[in-house]
Parts: sequence; structure tokens; C-alpha cells
Amino acid sequence: MSEEIDITKLETPELLELIQDDLYDGLADEVVASVNELLARDMTPSDVLNKGLVAGMEIVGFDFRDGILFVPEVLMAAKAMKAGMEILRPLLIETGATQIGTLVIGTVKGDIHDIGKNLVSMMMEGAGFNVINLGINTDVDAFLEAIEEHKPDILGMSAMLTTTMTYMAVVIEALEEKGIRDQLLVLVGGAPLNDAFAEEIRADAYCRDAAVGVETAKKLLAIRRGQPG
Amino acid sequence: MQNYASLLSQAQVERIHEASLEILESVGLLVRNEKARQIFAHHGLHVDHETEIVKFPRGIIEEFRAQFPPSFTFRGREWSFDRTIPGDSPLVLTGSSAPNIIDPVTGYERRATSDDLARISHLINQLPGYDVFSIATLADDAPPGQFSLSRFYPSIRNTVKPVRANTPPEEAEDMLRLVYMIAGSESAFRDHPFVTFHYCPVVSPLTMDFDSTELLLFFKEQGLPSYFSIVPNAGLTSPLTLVGTLAQNNAEFLAAAVLSQMIHPGSELIYSTLPTVADLRTGAYSPGAIETGILHMGCAQMARFYNIPSGGYIGLTNSKINDAQAGYETGMSVVAGYLGGVDILNMGGLLDALMAFDFAKAVIDNDIAMMLKRIRRGFEFHEEELSLDLIAEIGPGGMFADSDHTLERMRTTMYLTEIADREPREQWQESGASDAQAKAMRRVKDILTRDNPTEFSPEVDAKIRSEFVGMISGVSMPPEGWKRSTSTSSKGRETRQERRRRLRENAATN
Repeated sequence: MSEEIDITKLETPELLELIQDDLYDGLADEVVASVNELLARDMTPSDVLNKGLVAGMEIVGFDFRDGILFVPEVLMAAKAMKAGMEILRPLLIETGATQIGTLVIGTVKGDIHDIGKNLVSMMMEGAGFNVINLGINTDVDAFLEAIEEHKPDILGMSAMLTTTMTYMAVVIEALEEKGIRDQLLVLVGGAPLNDAFAEEIRADAYCRDAAVGVETAKKLLAIRRGQPG
Repeated sequence: MQNYASLLSQAQVERIHEASLEILESVGLLVRNEKARQIFAHHGLHVDHETEIVKFPRGIIEEFRAQFPPSFTFRGREWSFDRTIPGDSPLVLTGSSAPNIIDPVTGYERRATSDDLARISHLINQLPGYDVFSIATLADDAPPGQFSLSRFYPSIRNTVKPVRANTPPEEAEDMLRLVYMIAGSESAFRDHPFVTFHYCPVVSPLTMDFDSTELLLFFKEQGLPSYFSIVPNAGLTSPLTLVGTLAQNNAEFLAAAVLSQMIHPGSELIYSTLPTVADLRTGAYSPGAIETGILHMGCAQMARFYNIPSGGYIGLTNSKINDAQAGYETGMSVVAGYLGGVDILNMGGLLDALMAFDFAKAVIDNDIAMMLKRIRRGFEFHEEELSLDLIAEIGPGGMFADSDHTLERMRTTMYLTEIADREPREQWQESGASDAQAKAMRRVKDILTRDNPTEFSPEVDAKIRSEFVGMISGVSMPPEGWKRSTSTSSKGRETRQERRRRLRENAATN
């Protein structure tokens, strides 16, 4: 499709539009090419991120909400976003620009259901987050280790079973004991959960689906960053 | 090749056939229409002119049965909407001729008018589950002498799908003049007759009436598409056993079918019925009862034995409102009938045993129709659809949602319901906690507040109006209180594709 378009000949505003369209259509290679082209034109990584990728994924989000785009299309767009982010992330760190955020996520111990959690991971990547997906059957030690290593802004936990969801409380208690609970947002999700459960185990929020998860993560992170100190 | 659910064995089917020959031979039919009696007499049947009883020797029935053609075609103003059964089965039609309508604004029942019919036809035209518009209501505002024209004109004007109509004998000639004018000429209409006429010439038990029989003769003589339905009511007009009703129904069908073949050899037939069992707690007419579904399954088996398409009125309801009863009566019967091999289903839009049309019911029935058509598609068995390569590629613990394979099929493997709600409870509450009825009414409003793209040209309308003085308007206008909506084009994919196309064009010219 767009390989017929010579991106070096496009004006920068057109190229930004093209990135948004390519994200919308889930064209990872094309997104990567345009990101590189924009960087070659000396656009700052932060501008490429915000004016190109983030703006594009916003449209994807709106059209998903309105039923125009389906889940597989959003996942394709998220993959294209991730591909673009992989180029930008080291540059953003280098320039000291604000990161969108880092998420450590896993299905808790005893539970091997991870389709929902994987959807959340992909959608979070689609929103520009750096996602460390710990997989299934994740115990306290594995969560703590990953937090230590990646210094995430957000910890995400998932459970499909009423018998395993209680393990989320065990993880949160461990964070409290180590005195690092306040450094993190803790978001939880899964079929048997609800708001009351999240409150009870002292999580920051329950997210009923991947889209809500992304919204909640962005919103709570903005609030947190807006607060002094 | 379709496999159908059968409640009768082959031996039982043959026994029903035999039994109906026996009924026709020994009991016969009371034929009130004189012309029909003459035709029967002409073909060697035993006609008692005193009692008006006609008896059918089995040899004659078998001779005409051999001529029954295996298919039936409904044609629309637009040829792409032509449908032939059994190839295009199942066809979904509206239920027809309800005297009343549930007012879309007030929610109260009242007499239906020609303006309502214009809206109904407009709605049915836009709902993809419907194949044929069988004129859903009467028109209380019809001027004298234009009883059927006042129903037909708003109907044909607002849909390009096939229309099924009827007319009293005194308006039959006018009806033909009107359809010729719409087609442009008589020959244009005959080349592609976009109206199918329908009658109920048999009044059970075993009686052919005056007018409907007259019209059956008229349209068969004209060589225009027409068919008839048989309508026994077990316990009142047929025996209170399902097999007894099936045998009598079959005898009545054969009698009328043979008559139509006598007039027009090889003319198309549908084994169409509305068989019911009376609810003898009160004597209530109960076309929503599951027994109607069962009887249709039997009729479909008989029709397969005769190698002709079948169906008729199935999926009706006795409910007065568009509630759970309306849904389960329609749903249960049509699934039974469809699995039993019914080709046409007059199922859409009616409440209260054919007494009232309801717009929202028609929209929900569209969802049901689409579900039936999804059953028809079945598994679409292909070696490659087994997706073995994909299963291996994704592997244990993987995810299918983000594969191209899934992307390519996400709009087609599943029928994506228009009305049935699948949101999580919270989201559903946030978006207004609407039930199916409320959602369906929103869809109705969405369609009826837009212009109908299938309207006639003003020239044709002016010509018709000068020929038929006093003709009702037939234009689909939103009901009072509903504002015409300005089209809201979603900027989603279309704008993006347009932009991409423009870029590529620029690239090509540079």
C-alpha cells in the first residue's frame, strides 16, 4: 500500500498524518520508516511521539470506542505503535524527556489464564507504555524482583479465578512491608473482580477490560505526576 | 447439500400423501367459485353442481403433481434483490395485513394508515435480514375503490425488494395498470414482475371460496407470479391432532395446487401454510404456539416429497407487546421451521396474532433473520478453514486475536448482532441500560429520519397521480415529533483511505 509513497518527498505535516494512518492500519514497518524519517529531519523524539504516534493511537482509541475498529485491528495498531516506540524509547531516555510509563504485569500465582492480561499488555504497549509481561503463575518474589529491576510506574495483576484473586492481596501486603507500595500504582483486573475487591485489597483501581485499563493507567499516572513531590 | 430435521419417517410422509388423496377422492372439496368448478369439471373431476362438492380422482392429482416445478422466484424493482427458493433459502418476509400498528411515538395501538406503510416499507428496505416485503398492514385511510392500491403504492414506492401484495377482484385491473406504469410498460413489467400476488383460496375445512379463488385464477391466467397459503386451525377447522391437520392441510394444498396447474401448467408453487392449533382453554388463535413450528416441519417434509419449496407464516406471536414472549415465540418456531427445511418465513414485525405491526419487533426480527441465515451458512467446511497451520503457529498458550487470520475474518465468521447486547454490565449501564425494545426503536428512528434512497422519480409519481385520482401520498416521512437527521458520516476509515489514495496519486504524478 504505502510503499508506493516516497516518504522522503512528503512535507512533515503530511508525514505525521501518514504515521497516524499507518498506525490505524497496523502497518508496523511503515510506522518505523516514518519515525526514522522524522528523526532524520531533526524532529525531537518527544515531538515524534506526541504529534505522530500518540495522536495516531488516540484516533484508534476513539474508533475502537465507537465500534468502527475491532479488537484485532487495535492489536495490530498496538504492534505498530510498539515498533515505533522501540526506536523512540532509548532516544527519549537520552534526551531526558518524560516517559509515558513502565508497567510490570503478570497473572498471579496459581492461575494460568493470561489471554486478558496479554490483551492488556498489548493495549498498554499501544498507548506507548514500556511493558514487562511476567506471564502466568507469578509469585510475590517474581513481582518484587521485576519491580526492583524495572522500576515501573504501574504494577498490573490479573486473575481469572476466585481462588487465585486473593493472592493479589498477598502481593500488595509484600509491597507495603517493603515500603514501596506508594511508589507504584497497582491496577488489578480479571473476570471475578470488582471495584469493592480492589478497594478491599488496597489496589488503586479495578479495570474491567483492557481499554479501561489503558484509560485508568493514563489518568492515574497524570494525576500522580501532577502532584508535587 | 442441506440436511433437515425430520419428525416424520419416509413411510409416514407417504401415508400422509395417501391420506390426503383419500380425503380428496372420498370427501372432496366444497368449491364455491363457479369458474373453478368449471375448470375442475373440464379436467374430468367429479363435480356435483347441486352440492358444489368436487371430488378428485387420485390419478388426476398424480398427473398434475408431476408438473409441479421445483423452484419459485420473487423479483424486486432492483434485480439484485431477486430471490429464488430453494437456492436462496431461507427467505424472510414480513408478516402481513395487520389492521393495527403500535404507534412509534406514543407506543399505543391504533389503526394503521398508508403513511405507516410507507415507513414500514422504508424500514424493511433498509434491514438486510428481509428478502421480501409482504405488505404488513391495512391502510385505514384508503379512499373508496383504492383499498389495495393504498396499501400497495406506499409499499412499492419505498422498497426495491420484492413486494408481495393482494387485491380484491374489483381492484385487480387497476392494480395491473399501476404496476405497468411503475415498470414503464406492460411488457417491462412482464419481463421482470416485481410484485408477487398472494391469496388464501381455501377456507378450512375443505372449502374453496369465491373471491380469493377468483384472484388465484386471475393471476395464474395472467401468468403473473402468485401463490397461495393454506390455513387450518386444529380443533376448530381441522382435527385436533397434528397428523390429522397435516393430512387435511395437504389435501387442501393439493387441491389448490392442481387447480393452479390446470390454469397455468408448470406455474410456480410454494407449499405455503399457516397451520395453527386453537388454544381450547379459550379458543384463542395461537400462531405463536410451538405447534405451528412443528406443523411447518411436517409441511416442509411433504413439500420435499413433492420437490417444491415450502414455508409461510411462522414465528408469529400472541404477545401484545414486544417482550420476552414475543422473542421466544418467534425464535422457537423459526428455528424449528428452519431446521425442518422451511424456505420462506413470514415472520417479521407483527404482534398479537397478526393484529398489530410493531416497528421495534421488525428490527428484532431482522436480527433473528440474520441469525437464521448464519445457521444456513453453517460451518463452511473447507480443509483450509480447519486452520491447522495457524493452530501450530500460535501454539499452546498463544493468542489468536492479533493474527492476520483473525483480522481477515473478524466481521464475517460471526453474525454481529445489531440489537442483542453484549456489553459488560457497567458499560451497558453507562450507555443507558437499554433493553432490546429501546435499542430497536433507536434503530427505527435512525432509519426513518433519513431520506429513503429508493424513492421513485417525481415524473413517475406525477404520472401515477394523474391516472389515479385521490391516490395517497406514499412518501416515507418521519412520524410527527421525529426530526429528520442530517447525515453524520463517521470520519474513521473512509477519510483515512481517501487521504492515502490522494497521497498515492500525488506520488504517481510527481
